[in-house]
Amino acid sequence: MSKWFQFRSNPRVRRFGEFSWYLFVFASWLPVAVLANDHFFEITRVNGPSMYPFLNPDKDRSLTRDCVWTWKYDAHDKLARGMIVIFWSPFNPETRVIKRIVGLEGDVIRTKPPYPVATVQVPPGHVWVEGDGDVTQDSNTYGPIAKALIIGKVTHIIWPLNRVGRVNWEEYAAEIRRNS
Amino acid sequence: MGGFRGHPWRICLHAFQTLAFGHYLFNYQYSFGWGYGPSMLPTFLVDGDIIIFDRHHRRGRDVRVGDCVAYHIPVSPDEDGVKRVIGMPGDYILMNSPGASSDRMLQVPKGHCYIVGDNLPWSRDSRDFGPLPLALIKGKAIAKGQISGWHPWKWFKPLENSLTTDVPS
Repeated sequence: MSKWFQFRSNPRVRRFGEFSWYLFVFASWLPVAVLANDHFFEITRVNGPSMYPFLNPDKDRSLTRDCVWTWKYDAHDKLARGMIVIFWSPFNPETRVIKRIVGLEGDVIRTKPPYPVATVQVPPGHVWVEGDGDVTQDSNTYGPIAKALIIGKVTHIIWPLNRVGRVNWEEYAAEIRRNS
Repeated sequence: MGGFRGHPWRICLHAFQTLAFGHYLFNYQYSFGWGYGPSMLPTFLVDGDIIIFDRHHRRGRDVRVGDCVAYHIPVSPDEDGVKRVIGMPGDYILMNSPGASSDRMLQVPKGHCYIVGDNLPWSRDSRDFGPLPLALIKGKAIAKGQISGWHPWKWFKPLENSLTTDVPS
């Protein structure tokens, strides 16, 4: 009987060994979660009034915030007018922003007040994003955003329960065309 | 080792977990890439240099003027580039190359940086597409080198930021 065997067979050490094994099994799943969160999906809570009334329609009546399901695979591709996207704010690299795509590359956009010129063409690799609400800081403030900033597309509302369901962004595409 | 039995599904599962761990290391710790193109001569060769990136500097964290950074090219979202940062938010920078017809200055906007290649006449950088959002930065180049010879410790040379302050502040 070696000293090492005695040490290993001590019940307290064995219990600790089992615990650290389960800890290791738990930790081995963390990178999988990171991978899924980086490239496939994420649940995001929406703060602020920028997408009112589509998201957070009860912003003046309740403190609860909407939760949305974001699909992140191929986030830079297959973008369309009307889609709701989440992207890194160009002004603050650590905050995420949720807005609706209004123009794709090459589109000529009629801008809104804070923007210095009346019309602008969206440059290659960029999109024009705007919030639905009146209180919003969007492309009219910081200009067209690079597609590479986009983290994912909002596909479903998952909270509150009375509005759970797919985001029908196609309806908004028609509206954008009518207004411009 | 308890828990690891030789069942094929289990081996697949562990392979997947290992890949995910590699993805974590590559995206959040350190990564490497091959530099290509003349825009960063003489810091990086036109072809064949391997560059090591520190991903802790993703989204412009602790990036300073003079650092080489890897970034998503804003005008072609699926391509990456490596350039040198010459201006951080609030800095005043020359918009074109020294000696160009225009000597307009620009204050780098909030959350952006200004990047140019070391090889000024052969570089596509902020002089073409304007200030780069810091959120597009993937990492900072910390070493470069080539795999040649039998001594791995001789393959890579650290890249140092040559911009230092002469006057202690």
